[in-house]
Amino acid sequence: MADVQLRQIAKSFGSVEVIPGLDLDIPDGSFTVLVGPSGCGKSTLLRIISGLERPTGGNVSIGGRDVTRDEPSKRGISMVFQSYALYPHMTVAQNIDFGLRLAKTPADERERRVAEAARILHLESLLDRKPAELSGGQRQRVAIGRSIVREPGVFLFDEPLSNLDAALRTQMRIELAQLHERFDATMVYVTHDQVEAMTLADQIVVMNGGSIEQVGAPMELYERPRTEFVATFIGSPKMNLLPARAVGRSDARNAGVRPEHIRLDKNGGDWLAEVVVVENLGSDTVVYLESEDFGPLTVRVAGHQSLASRARVWLTPEPEHVHLFDADGVRLP
Amino acid sequence: MSTIPESFPERVGRTLRDGRFTAVILLLPPALVLFSLFVIVPLAESGRYAFFDWNGYGEPADWVGFENFERMFGHSVFHQAIWNTIKLVLVSLLVQMPLALALALMIYRKTPTNAVFRLIFFLPFILAEIAAGLIWSFVFDGNYGVAAGITHAFGGEPYFVLGDRTWAFVAIMTVIVWKYFGFHMMIYIAALQGVPQDLVEAAKIEGAKTLDVVRHVQIPLIKPAIMVSAFFAIIGALQVFDVIIPLTNGGPSNSTQTVVTYLYTFGLSRLKIGFGSAVGIVLFLAAVLIAVFYQRFSNRAVSR
Repeated sequence: MADVQLRQIAKSFGSVEVIPGLDLDIPDGSFTVLVGPSGCGKSTLLRIISGLERPTGGNVSIGGRDVTRDEPSKRGISMVFQSYALYPHMTVAQNIDFGLRLAKTPADERERRVAEAARILHLESLLDRKPAELSGGQRQRVAIGRSIVREPGVFLFDEPLSNLDAALRTQMRIELAQLHERFDATMVYVTHDQVEAMTLADQIVVMNGGSIEQVGAPMELYERPRTEFVATFIGSPKMNLLPARAVGRSDARNAGVRPEHIRLDKNGGDWLAEVVVVENLGSDTVVYLESEDFGPLTVRVAGHQSLASRARVWLTPEPEHVHLFDADGVRLP
Repeated sequence: MSTIPESFPERVGRTLRDGRFTAVILLLPPALVLFSLFVIVPLAESGRYAFFDWNGYGEPADWVGFENFERMFGHSVFHQAIWNTIKLVLVSLLVQMPLALALALMIYRKTPTNAVFRLIFFLPFILAEIAAGLIWSFVFDGNYGVAAGITHAFGGEPYFVLGDRTWAFVAIMTVIVWKYFGFHMMIYIAALQGVPQDLVEAAKIEGAKTLDVVRHVQIPLIKPAIMVSAFFAIIGALQVFDVIIPLTNGGPSNSTQTVVTYLYTFGLSRLKIGFGSAVGIVLFLAAVLIAVFYQRFSNRAVSR
């Protein structure tokens, strides 16, 4: 186990500055998720931690040791790639124990560790197969197995579930959470999927344009987003942003209300809007509306809701769940 | 969902209707005629001439049976030619290919500097064989060439490597490696660029050094390209001819003959077309054997 400290990390590719300079503490044993839109620098930051990319400025420390100039293999990390990065010419067992073979680990120790990883990841019956003979989920497990056997201090995951279908992604998410509990290791996980971020993380780092917008626990980000960007990025469907006058405030520029914090009524309320589309999800209903005064709005109501397209309804925000932002998009207390 | 099996007449009817039959009728004959005219017929004719003592004029009439083959297999120069050809195959596989692979590994990444090096290394392959032979004959010239400059610098006597029975073929093999390594290097570069970077990075994280990455990741993944390259190297070595003619013309004392220069020297230039055809047939059979062996070997490698 090890904590990760990033100090004044900067990265440029030629004249393009990807990360202008950031600080981040990843506590020992935490499951930290780096989340943000495409091109925000989250994968680059993960690669800097792994040593696959050298920062143009700043320091990386793992377990209190400065590893900025160290080779990836000397950092006590392992990494699971989006493409799985399995060697197609090796069997599952050979893929898993590749790192151990390179480290000249004794054969009986290697065998024991591979067997243990295979047992944890339910790969026992697949050890003699080649990656081409495996499904996406099985390949992902092999990639994770390769990480586990090296017993690293820090596990790095670069969008590991993005190539899986929705059902498998949910299952693997649960398995990853169980793995984290079992190993109690530091895990750093990159994703652009905020559902993965919310469900897996005990610390989320929201990135935008190479900078960190906010670091915090999932519910902290959900309930007290520091910026408009975080407010709209975390949560699905995303938060409604309206002019602050909609909630009767003149000291702010925008007001944010999550779709689940707006009450919908056919008889009366604060804002009048017209129904555009209704999505019945079974457990709840997402209603997309258009308000003459405030533009498009989204409302989530529990259970099934029958609403005709173009029906006019009244909306009322829950006052305790209204977020206010100033002209710079920063949260007002 | 179960499907009803199609009967033979139904299948024929469908093939006729869907246009595939028409396409075959229209497109196959031109290719078949050209292939037959320029490959099958000359091969068959050559096979026939090999059993005649024929100088190339008129119709072959002097049937000699296997005499051409007996003479060829009993001829010490042919033995030398076979041995030289084997040496060429070995040098191609054991020197040229590793050299090409090493250079490919150094310059396969897409950078402007590497592009320049790729061009430089590939230049000898672009050069015509005859031109390459002539250039190197000047290089090896003991009176005026680079060799003369070297011996002169060390105060030695003029040395004519191409006139030395012991070293002439070594010089030729050097030229052949120089001439063709760029071709194999390009095959490897294309294959190496196709190796996913993730695999290389994953290996580095696992603790692989540069040579480990080459050995455990890159070489196994470009194995099909190496197989193709080996095939070209062997077939190319069997056919070496036009580099040798301007350099040594098979000499001194036939010590640098290969199977093809032997065919040319003792068959064509002496108007022994029947004898030359016999050599050609042996060469063709050797190439076919290698091709079949390669096919079997590569199929087995792929299925593994």
